[in-house]
Amino acid sequence: MLIYDIRFLFIYMFFVGNLIFVSKNKHLLVVLLSLEFIVLSIFFFFLVLLMFIDYDMYMLMVFLVFSVCEGSLGLSILVSMIRSHGNDYFQSFSML
Amino acid sequence: MFFFILTNNNSNKMFFLFILFFSTLISISSNSWFGCWIGLEINLLSFIPLISNSKNLLSVETSLKYFLTQSLASINFLFMILIKFSLLKNFNMNNIISIMMNSSLLMKMGSAPFHFWFPNIVEGLSWMNNFMLMTWQKISPMILLSYYFNKNFLIFMIIMNLIIGSLGGLNQTSLRKLLAFSSINNLGWMIFSIMISENLWLFYFLIYSMMIFMMISLFFLMNMYFMNQLFINNMNFFIKLNLLINFLSLGGLPPFMGFMPKWIIINFLLINKFYFLTFIFMMTSLIIIYYYIRIIYSSFMFNYFKMKWVNLLMKNNMSLINLSSFISISSMILSTFIFM
Repeated sequence: MLIYDIRFLFIYMFFVGNLIFVSKNKHLLVVLLSLEFIVLSIFFFFLVLLMFIDYDMYMLMVFLVFSVCEGSLGLSILVSMIRSHGNDYFQSFSML
Repeated sequence: MFFFILTNNNSNKMFFLFILFFSTLISISSNSWFGCWIGLEINLLSFIPLISNSKNLLSVETSLKYFLTQSLASINFLFMILIKFSLLKNFNMNNIISIMMNSSLLMKMGSAPFHFWFPNIVEGLSWMNNFMLMTWQKISPMILLSYYFNKNFLIFMIIMNLIIGSLGGLNQTSLRKLLAFSSINNLGWMIFSIMISENLWLFYFLIYSMMIFMMISLFFLMNMYFMNQLFINNMNFFIKLNLLINFLSLGGLPPFMGFMPKWIIINFLLINKFYFLTFIFMMTSLIIIYYYIRIIYSSFMFNYFKMKWVNLLMKNNMSLINLSSFISISSMILSTFIFM
């Protein structure tokens, strides 16, 4: 892939993460992993952006805290789903 | 709603409710886009415990679907914020980046074409959680939408909202899904009103949330979730009258309160010569009123059963609903007295 600029890498990572999120998977955990991959791409992007503002990385830490909170919320929903359905397959959704 | 939460030994839900209110305030009043994103994240973090109680399978599936769509939308929103920041030019609002940012905010609201999760989730929630989802959760994406929107894109989205909200509700038997599609349609009106002015949006939103609160209170007190429960039961005449008034007010018929914000928006549309958009607004409103009247008609006249073993009386705590129906009828006339 031709990279003229570092921003193409971030867009590529972001796009791949979204692609895995919307693809048909068997497990829910793959979807949560793709969310974490998008978070990783945003982390990298944030890092490069903030390097141009005299290495001011505090916002990056705040972003990291919120993303970790969201990831743990996803995992707790996964645990709740396994407790009630027994597995994390998407095929066990039949109600709605 | 607060009485419901207090009586069921759910004091931790009060805590999450407080954080939910606070998160919207954080999101609206921040002076950078990053603060807006933080507010949206806290909103998600505090709403999920409100809707997931581990007593049935349905609530797990509901909270999972809600979490997946909302977290994807907010992560996309943050990425577009960063791209906007890195491009270092903020002067033109009608570009591709604003389309992407508006799309992620529309996905958070449940607007068409990102609406497919919304009737599913509404089907799995209780009435009070539905009320929170339909009213409070729309505030912060709407206001964020007003800060940076692409006019042509939003007008196209409004048309899709109106059409999908009206045509989607035609084949529904569940009351929750009916109100969900009605909510999608009203979202089209609200997005247009926020493009006009934020005060007008506030006016529309307050009246809409009052009407939805009346409807949801009525359904909650009678414990009704499906349409056949409306005309099988032996309801008192005044309960049916209340239902009639609330449904017609929600549809926007003239003597009732729900007509007023729609009137102002149509006034603006016609003065500024948006004729095609006016046509779409009118026609989709007609379809919605059709399916409301279909419900009320069968409740009042057509299937007039009075089963003696089911008896729905006017309960003690219905005085608020009666007062609000009175306000629905008389508010158009009373509002002319404001300017005297």
